[in-house]
Amino acid sequence: MDSSSDEALDIIITNVVATFRTRCHLNLRTIALEGTNVIYKPEVGKVLMKLRKPTITASIWSSGKIICTGATSEDDAKLGARRLARCLQKLGFKVKFSAFRVVNVLAVCSMPFAIHLIDFTKNNRPIASYEPELHPAVTYRIKNLKATFQVFSTGSLTVTGPNVQAVATAVEQVYPLLFEVRKPLCK
Amino acid sequence: MQRSGLRCPGCGSSNIVNDDLYCHVQLVCVDCGTVVSEGSLADDPVGGSDVSYSRSTAVTKVPCQNLKKGLSRVKEMCRVIRVRRNIEDLALSYFQQAYEHENFIRVNLTKKEVLAGCCVLVSCRQMNWPITIGTISCLLNADPALVGGVYKDLLKILKLEALTVGIIEVLEAHCQEYKINSDQVPEELAEDCTVLTKRAKALVELAADSWIVTGRKPLPMLMAATYLAWQSLKPNKHRLKLSLDKFCRLAKVQKSQSALTRITELKEVLCKLGREIPWVRETVTPDSVIRLVGDILENRFALLRRALRNHEDSLQAENVVNSPNKETASSKPQELTENPPAEDRGHQGQESESNWGKRVLFAPPCVINRKRRRTEQPELIVTGDEEISDSEIDSYIRSPQEVRDLVQAEKMLVSSDKV
Repeated sequence: MDSSSDEALDIIITNVVATFRTRCHLNLRTIALEGTNVIYKPEVGKVLMKLRKPTITASIWSSGKIICTGATSEDDAKLGARRLARCLQKLGFKVKFSAFRVVNVLAVCSMPFAIHLIDFTKNNRPIASYEPELHPAVTYRIKNLKATFQVFSTGSLTVTGPNVQAVATAVEQVYPLLFEVRKPLCK
Repeated sequence: MQRSGLRCPGCGSSNIVNDDLYCHVQLVCVDCGTVVSEGSLADDPVGGSDVSYSRSTAVTKVPCQNLKKGLSRVKEMCRVIRVRRNIEDLALSYFQQAYEHENFIRVNLTKKEVLAGCCVLVSCRQMNWPITIGTISCLLNADPALVGGVYKDLLKILKLEALTVGIIEVLEAHCQEYKINSDQVPEELAEDCTVLTKRAKALVELAADSWIVTGRKPLPMLMAATYLAWQSLKPNKHRLKLSLDKFCRLAKVQKSQSALTRITELKEVLCKLGREIPWVRETVTPDSVIRLVGDILENRFALLRRALRNHEDSLQAENVVNSPNKETASSKPQELTENPPAEDRGHQGQESESNWGKRVLFAPPCVINRKRRRTEQPELIVTGDEEISDSEIDSYIRSPQEVRDLVQAEKMLVSSDKV
């Protein structure tokens, strides 16, 4: 990536979503009663628990499946998930931390140049989709990496992908396509 | 005639014959005289036998009512927009295909109507006929977001590709909506449509070159360009005093809120170019630039080149002045070794980010007016497998006393509700 630019690009991870299972049934009423920082939603059948450090919000279902969102790195997500499992253990459930998996990573990247969106769409016709009346960004999907980009004319990108490595590879792949449509005023 | 296989419920004999009473079919047991079964008059349901509409042959002869309505709606819309015949036929064929698909067959009627509009939109786009999603939403009286969603689904399901419509192509149709001919408004405010379109087109091209158009909704841009074009064609006192609101009311067009910001941005760009005109002596302000718009647009390429060259020259001059200062500044960070390296890099990154927007003459407005990011907290190195202490976890669990208090409070609330 550094070979094509003078400065390294900063890819800032803003959100990591991970899931894991506790292999035991959880009583949501007990969690709601004895846990702090907890919101009980009986109509949906889940409990929202917020941890302070790392800042993670977890959705806990009575089947023992838990989804953690809000972490800023994969390791952070794992630490938060383990902390949550320990917390549930202390509440009295026979928790076994298993099947931890990072499901989605959202990252933000900023190019040091503006991007001409119409040219970008024309160059990448079926893969890129641009409707200025609906959304100001071009949506570009890389199928084999399962990554989706939102490219804005200011040079900012948001990327979502299954893990951090896929996101980094996807940004490397898309950089040359963006570089060729940074529009200099050549009049 | 004997009927085999049937047994009489009364005596059990199998001696059953067909004994019709006039037109009424009856099966009668010969031995005891019981009527085993009667004919169609009593048994068959009213209106014919029990076969559903979809399994009968009628469904192939007569197409679904909503499909017919949808097809006629497509035709109506094509006639209203006055498109060519081949676009109409293409839209009809797309609607026929899409209607049968599972995503669209069991949706509510609003969505089916929106589907009709989207088929028209796709066909127009594929045949290079300029039309916006806004126009279709107006025709259907539907939410543009819903129209957009159905449009994207349609493209995915029928595996179609449609070109993004260019803003210039829509401009002509947009300008024709403005009712400012000489027979509709007073002479000093009237303008010919072709002249207006030409001037507005030049303004939109200039805006596209200076990053005002990319990523924005097209309609406010078109409105801003038309308004400024109208003002600049005869910059007399009346026209300059008329605000966008009053202009839209005069031309009987609905005003768009973001058009005001576009007008400001476009005027700024015009000012930057106006300052490069060699024969203009007084200072160029957004108010006074309207009179110069004609000259600016005629010579816009030359003025752009000039402006960029002057900007580069001034930047180089600044760099020469700043570089002795920069050399002394760069030695300082090396001395402060206690600063964590991440913070330093982050700070420099932020500086270079904000700089590139200010370094160039024309950039997207969001980059020039970039919001300052909140300072990020220093990142801790986390592996995910660290030890978790008990005290940390205890902070997330209520103590038994707290639980008892909570249960009591709930009981009190419930009882007070009942009272």
